[in-house]
Amino acid sequence: MTRTTVNRVLLGVVGLVLLAAGVLVLAGGLDLYRWLGADPPSWWPLTSPDQPVVSARSRTRWVDSTWWWPTVIGGLAVLVVGTAWWLAAQLRRSGSASIAVPTPGAGGLRLRVRTRALEEALETGTATLPEVERAGVRLVRAPGHPRLRGAVRLTPGGDPAALVEHFDTGPRADARTSLGWPELPADLRIRVLQAAPAESRRHRGRRRRHPRVE
Amino acid sequence: MSTGGEAAPGSEVGAGGEVEAGGEVTAPEAEPSSEQVRRLRAPRTTVAVLVATVLLVGAGALLYDVISVRAGYPTRRWRARIADELATRHLDDLWVLVGAGAAVLLGGWLLWLAVAPGLGRWLPLRPHGDTGAAIDRAGIGHLLADRAAGLPGIDDLRIRISRRRVRVALTGTADPVSLQRQLRDELARVTLARPLRLDVRTVPGATPAANREAGVAG
Repeated sequence: MTRTTVNRVLLGVVGLVLLAAGVLVLAGGLDLYRWLGADPPSWWPLTSPDQPVVSARSRTRWVDSTWWWPTVIGGLAVLVVGTAWWLAAQLRRSGSASIAVPTPGAGGLRLRVRTRALEEALETGTATLPEVERAGVRLVRAPGHPRLRGAVRLTPGGDPAALVEHFDTGPRADARTSLGWPELPADLRIRVLQAAPAESRRHRGRRRRHPRVE
Repeated sequence: MSTGGEAAPGSEVGAGGEVEAGGEVTAPEAEPSSEQVRRLRAPRTTVAVLVATVLLVGAGALLYDVISVRAGYPTRRWRARIADELATRHLDDLWVLVGAGAAVLLGGWLLWLAVAPGLGRWLPLRPHGDTGAAIDRAGIGHLLADRAAGLPGIDDLRIRISRRRVRVALTGTADPVSLQRQLRDELARVTLARPLRLDVRTVPGATPAANREAGVAG
């Protein structure tokens, strides 16, 4: 599962819990059940406006059971570990700092290239493609699925389709063959500058920024 | 930073090859390939960091206090206070209702973030080989504006780009049909995975033209 999927599922779960709790309290507090003539089953929580949110009796309902405290502590521990893992997955720098490069013909030689050096080589290669003003490239390494992410800014009137083709057959293919990987897919984010001066003032601040790889 | 995996556009070699072949035969019609390129999906990193931090701090504090109470220490004041408030405030209490309303709004927003694709300003292009790409909507606007800038008879041009169509409002004496042809050529050059519809219409806006003519005459 990719990080996008994990984030979206967990955000959805948290959102659903918050939404359900809020709707329950609002329905009870505004006495919607009586207004709507609905008759909730007897076990339904929070039906009357005169009820406390969590009464002392319901809070201490199972305190005397032997399973209560181990369950509470275990559940909280799982929640703490799970959220810590979730947080770490967001902050983790994806991939290692260097990559092994194959050295065919030189048996005793082991070569590693720094990831940043590879990225800079790709950036230089991309920036020399026609109509490219600036380029930023990152190598993201999800386990077993390395891929390139590039942010490219084209000069006014630039041809995005040609850029995609040139990048695919140029820097990307070169990097793939030098690393000896079976495949190295890439995603590009393309922006195009404007030549007409009418709108340039509004976008001047944005232009100076280096293209960002997201 | 890492959307990675199969979800991203252009990750399949076969899909890219087919698109390329189709594109060579009939360039303007991209219908067969448009379904193969999916919309980008935002990874929602920032919101995930915020929610995870809040949950971690809350659950951690509660776990610490529960364990310390089980070990014989007295309950912390904050937990006793919260339990007391929850047990004494009734459901029709104003603050309970405000809190519930906030929870509904926040929960709905998080659900929306979980479902909505996001990254609406990036429109996917047809992939080439192993390279997928997306272009900024403003970038398409710049290309169209620059193409129109060389044409005579245009006093003012408003270009609005949504995810499905481009609306161009033309002020001036230029022929909207020929302008539309020019802009359509420019759009075809971009090779979007889902081609945008193009509407060009003339808006009466007579005042700028009249002013300019008056200025020239005077």
